[in-house]
Amino acid sequence: MLLALDANEQAIADAAAAFLATEFPLQRLHGAHNDANRLGEFSALGWLGLSAPEALGGSGLGMVEEMLFFLQLGRVAGPVGVLGQILAVSTARDHRDLCTALLAGAASVALLVEHTADGTIRFIGAADCRYALAVAPGGASLFELNGSECAEVPCLDRSVSMCIGRDSALSRLVHVEGDGVWCRALVDVSAMLLGIAERALDMIVAYAKERHTFGRPIGAYQAVRHPCADMAVRVEAARCQLFYAATALKEQQPDAIMQIDAARLLAERAAKANTDANIQLHGGIGVTDEFSAHLLLKRANLLWRLFGSPRQSMQSLLGLRFESGVVTCAKNGSKASGVIAGEGR
Amino acid sequence: MDLHYSEADREFRERARAWLKDNIPQAPRPVAGEAGARFDRDWQRKLYEHGWAGLNWPLAYGGLGLSALQQVIWYEECARAGAPHYINTTYVALMHAGPTIIACGTEDQKAFHLPRILSGESLWCQGFSEPNAGSDLASLKTAAVVDGDELVVNGTKTWTTDGQHADFQELLIRTTPGSERHRGLTWVICDMRAPGITVRPIRTMMGDAHINTTFYDNVRIPLANVVGEIGSGWKTAMSTLAFERGTGFIGDQLALYERVNQAIALAGKTRLASGTLAIDDSDIAGRLALIKADTLAIRAMTFAQISEIHQGGNPGPKGSVMKLLVTSTAKALSHLVAEMLGWEFMEYGGNRNDHPLTYDYLWSWVYTIAGGTSEIQREIIADQLLDLPRAR
Repeated sequence: MLLALDANEQAIADAAAAFLATEFPLQRLHGAHNDANRLGEFSALGWLGLSAPEALGGSGLGMVEEMLFFLQLGRVAGPVGVLGQILAVSTARDHRDLCTALLAGAASVALLVEHTADGTIRFIGAADCRYALAVAPGGASLFELNGSECAEVPCLDRSVSMCIGRDSALSRLVHVEGDGVWCRALVDVSAMLLGIAERALDMIVAYAKERHTFGRPIGAYQAVRHPCADMAVRVEAARCQLFYAATALKEQQPDAIMQIDAARLLAERAAKANTDANIQLHGGIGVTDEFSAHLLLKRANLLWRLFGSPRQSMQSLLGLRFESGVVTCAKNGSKASGVIAGEGR
Repeated sequence: MDLHYSEADREFRERARAWLKDNIPQAPRPVAGEAGARFDRDWQRKLYEHGWAGLNWPLAYGGLGLSALQQVIWYEECARAGAPHYINTTYVALMHAGPTIIACGTEDQKAFHLPRILSGESLWCQGFSEPNAGSDLASLKTAAVVDGDELVVNGTKTWTTDGQHADFQELLIRTTPGSERHRGLTWVICDMRAPGITVRPIRTMMGDAHINTTFYDNVRIPLANVVGEIGSGWKTAMSTLAFERGTGFIGDQLALYERVNQAIALAGKTRLASGTLAIDDSDIAGRLALIKADTLAIRAMTFAQISEIHQGGNPGPKGSVMKLLVTSTAKALSHLVAEMLGWEFMEYGGNRNDHPLTYDYLWSWVYTIAGGTSEIQREIIADQLLDLPRAR
């Protein structure tokens, strides 16, 4: 039992942090529309294949390393396309040529976020993405996307493209049953939400030390200190739970789904509340376009809308069933429940 | 990272589970008075006689010297089995006084007190806070002068939990006249039967009276009872508090998980005034799910903290993060249960055993205040974890 990073895991986290802090400073998002995915760079450094099997040209590492990478990607509000790319590899792992192209970053993947009964689709990604990915609790599908008829619509998070079209633009290439990709997607997006929450805390702590009012730094006032402490508590709770959940998924523990759903709820809470507090505690500068606080708020709003609703997480935590059927854990097929694994219960 | 238990840890869990199953008392703990204290002493004696006393005490002092992980396992099994709550009249002795004497006491003090604490023979209470020194403990004024080989104590302590049952008290007093703040204090063992001590119960909003104000009128305490150096009582006291913020509340952290599952079961059979089942109410379900997520995070944080200690780290201000999260989650849980219960919640006549959920609701404020208020915990986090400019 070890719930702290070992030396190898720490090295991965440090390497991801160093690369992303240098290449993707938050400042890049000011004024820029459509932050470039730069998939080639992620591919060249091996980040796209971090947890892909070695037989496919990946590094063969696990869910913990993938989570640590997405945590760092979240901290810089990094390209969302990387998430679609990595999940697409996971979906297409039985299709070698497709995987090779995806791992090389040669073809990009949009995330399908809405598909209504009347055939309307909404996706995050440019209309010229080659593929689109849909991830649900029961399975994941990778589609070829012909986006020529799809129209880009404005997005609150200006660093991404959002498009609307008809489902006739999609032709299904691959479908995998089960919740393997879903669980992974939840861990990855939780990690990005946590990264946002951490970055918001760092931002206000730095500002609270330098900004003076009434002759003192604002960080000396309890009206500022105490909300910052609460931000730290939310980050620490979400971080510990995410570490536990990623490890439970790596080990295919029977309670992995419940642990992941808890991680998702807490990461979402931390991102929402911390991006809010960050703006409020900054005062006037917090609502300006030139300052970065709003970038974190807008990214949090994008991320927590991905992959189902908090309602689904609630249901599994309370031992209820999804309407679409019984939730099962990928490998051993045990049902999600309120029982903690590893206790011989 | 990994979540695997070793063979030895799994074997320990099985042994603990089997023993608890056959040995936990059938009758509930009497709610108040001597009968409650006697229940606690009897349970502690049983733990002692069967080799389960002093989980976190070193082997050399009669404890079990368990790893932090095996302590977690023990408390998980206690919560699961419904064993008597470990925060009872034996708590100060086992979790504060004993470890402080182990860290700072003389050989004579260790030989006399440690076996009595482990066996439940001696109960202890704490004498730190005063009517005008709570969060700002270092402003305490209860003082002693040295007279021959004795200290003569005058003053007042308060929030003396279970003072009426205690045999001894860990007493923090000012022994250097005119000293200020943390300097000039002494940590001393006070015999609660010494002449000049008056214990006056404080009735709480729960309706019970297990906390007290303690008055000292020329109370004579042998200098041989000083633990650590005379004048360095702050250092001795901090060794106790650091211990408490390390692993002293593991049991409470883990018991929350059982409590939230009980609340989920309750929500599955309780009808709201509107007639709908509580669990089908989206507001209640949403809050319950978040509370459950927090209890899982508290468990994960417990493992994270013992892992960091294992890797050579110091929990430090993370203990304050834990205290804030545990007490705010417990409060949210007991308040949610209070809302679900409707009028049944109101049928409280002051007996904890009859209406434990109403009692828990009222207790939730004790929880966020005692042992360092939530506001003080936020100050510690701001200073030590976030390195913000000092407020004081």
